[in-house]
Amino acid sequence: MSAIIEARGLGRTLPGDPPVVLLRDVSLTIEPGAFTTIVGPSGCGKSSLLYLLGLIDRPTTGELLVEGREVSQLSGDARAAIRLARFGFVFQFHFLLPEFTALENVMLPMQRLARLSSTEARARALELLAGVGLGEKHTKTPDRLSGGERQRVAIARALANDPILILGDEPTGNLDSHNSARVVETLRALAHEQGRAVACVTHDPGIAEVSDIQIEMLDGRVERVIDRRGAVSGQP
Amino acid sequence: MIGRIGFLIGIALRHLSRRRRQTAVAVSGVAVGVGFFLAVSALMVGSQNDFIKQLIDAAPHIIISDELRSPSPQPGTRVYADGAVDLHGYKVRTEVRGIKDWQAIMAAANAVPGAIASPSLTGGVTLRLGGHDEAISVVGVEPEIETRISTIEEQLRVGHLRDLETTQGGIIIGEDLARRLGVRVGDILAATSSTSSGRSMRVVGLFKKGQTQLSSGVGYVLLREAQSLLGRPFIINRIGVKLADPYAADAVAKRLEARFGYKAESWQERSADFLSLLVTRNVIMYSVVSAILLVASFGIYTVVSNSVSDKQRDIAIMRSIGFSEGDLQFIFVAEGLILALIGVLVGWMLGYLLMSILGSLEFPIGGETEHIPLDRSPRQYAIAAAASFFAGAIAAWLPSRKASRVDPVDILRGAV
Repeated sequence: MSAIIEARGLGRTLPGDPPVVLLRDVSLTIEPGAFTTIVGPSGCGKSSLLYLLGLIDRPTTGELLVEGREVSQLSGDARAAIRLARFGFVFQFHFLLPEFTALENVMLPMQRLARLSSTEARARALELLAGVGLGEKHTKTPDRLSGGERQRVAIARALANDPILILGDEPTGNLDSHNSARVVETLRALAHEQGRAVACVTHDPGIAEVSDIQIEMLDGRVERVIDRRGAVSGQP
Repeated sequence: MIGRIGFLIGIALRHLSRRRRQTAVAVSGVAVGVGFFLAVSALMVGSQNDFIKQLIDAAPHIIISDELRSPSPQPGTRVYADGAVDLHGYKVRTEVRGIKDWQAIMAAANAVPGAIASPSLTGGVTLRLGGHDEAISVVGVEPEIETRISTIEEQLRVGHLRDLETTQGGIIIGEDLARRLGVRVGDILAATSSTSSGRSMRVVGLFKKGQTQLSSGVGYVLLREAQSLLGRPFIINRIGVKLADPYAADAVAKRLEARFGYKAESWQERSADFLSLLVTRNVIMYSVVSAILLVASFGIYTVVSNSVSDKQRDIAIMRSIGFSEGDLQFIFVAEGLILALIGVLVGWMLGYLLMSILGSLEFPIGGETEHIPLDRSPRQYAIAAAASFFAGAIAAWLPSRKASRVDPVDILRGAV
């Protein structure tokens, strides 16, 4: 199976005196149909890595290939276009736009991409919200939703443009165990049932344990990669 | 593309709808600016137009007189035009005053499309009644033509200029002069000039009071009456020209003067000092009202700047979703332009209201009710709108650059 993202020797250093090295020589692949977690102690660079993989930040050194194409030198607008059409993000603090209802928040990426008419976008947004169990609450603004509900709206929004890759930055970090389990189940299903690539930064060992691929980081390096798919499917 | 712009404007509107108070303050700032701009410029431009109209109408657009701007060249210099001839101390031939070959000048002036030329002869006479003498200038005109080039007919309280043609020895004088002499319409006066013996004139009309010059020192008679009274048969010393387009006066006057040599003075030349005064006045007015509009745009700056600061998280999330830097900047510029648009619309209404109030004020001047002259042309509305949008766009563009520069990583990393 071809990798959606391939990183080769990625490094990220913040300029300054002295410069701060966030990541050094990270190489990895993110594959479709797998639920990948990136774990490690605080400050090990796992969020920085996620921002690089999500084209939100640029690497200082190394190469980053999205679907086989080198993207680290692309213009800001070209990278934004890739994020819009191919990626979906879920953040710890569920960044919904406060002035917009749940439905409108989910519709935003579709309207920006403008591939669907507004009627189609609306229908798809309702469908996605129903898929995360929030069909009834689509008219509510974020301040009227609970933390778990907001995070599910954020997942629905991440799915708006039918992305090949979903990136989560501590998507359950702000949730109770019940809601957390529900979000994890949703993310796993997106990988296993819909064949998308899902990569999440987490420091919840419970989530890391149920992931297909677990990337462990320490001091800006990849320390160990655990691939559990072989055990499940019986392949080497 | 259009759909995207509409979508981004929708986001801008949603942002503004959540900060009603600031929006209201910024909008009213622009509205007051636009409203007062309209009121002040309507007053200034209106009075200026009224003033220029009076300048134009007060006398013919071009006056050709029997004067020369420089003495005519002497025969010696004329013959040896290229030679180094310097003559002085010679005896100058006395020429008869008056415009020579005036029929040709009349024909040339009348040849300009829409132009009407009217000949006249002006000279000094003394009016006498009993023991009372009044020195006036008498103007001999062709009433038929003169009424078409001047507003003289409107200045008459009693009678018409045409009455000069139907009454032998008719004269029209001012109300003030008539009162001083103690005459009324139909009364007879004696008129004498330095070159003729006295003759009787019958008053056939009176000029209104107020116009001091007309009312007390001028008498209108038939052209041939003036020629005979002044002892200058067939001579005229002034041609007034009215043009279809008053603003062509300068060019036409220069042409006529170049061709015939007589001084042809346009109304612009006559009132050059007034016109330069108007330019100064306009500079002052537009700097003051522009300052108002500029200050009004500070409100827009504040709203957009606050909006950008408050929306750092939203900017970061929209950037991560895949909105471009340009999209973000557009959203915030659109916020400023929306404020300017609402401000302009409200300002137009306010300006219209102020103009209606100013226009309804009445001033009694010279026994007649006058209204303040106002310029209500759409041009003023357009200028006010254009200036506000320009100021608003800059006021919004400055802080919007900050929005496009937000690095989502900083916000995501530091999110609390």
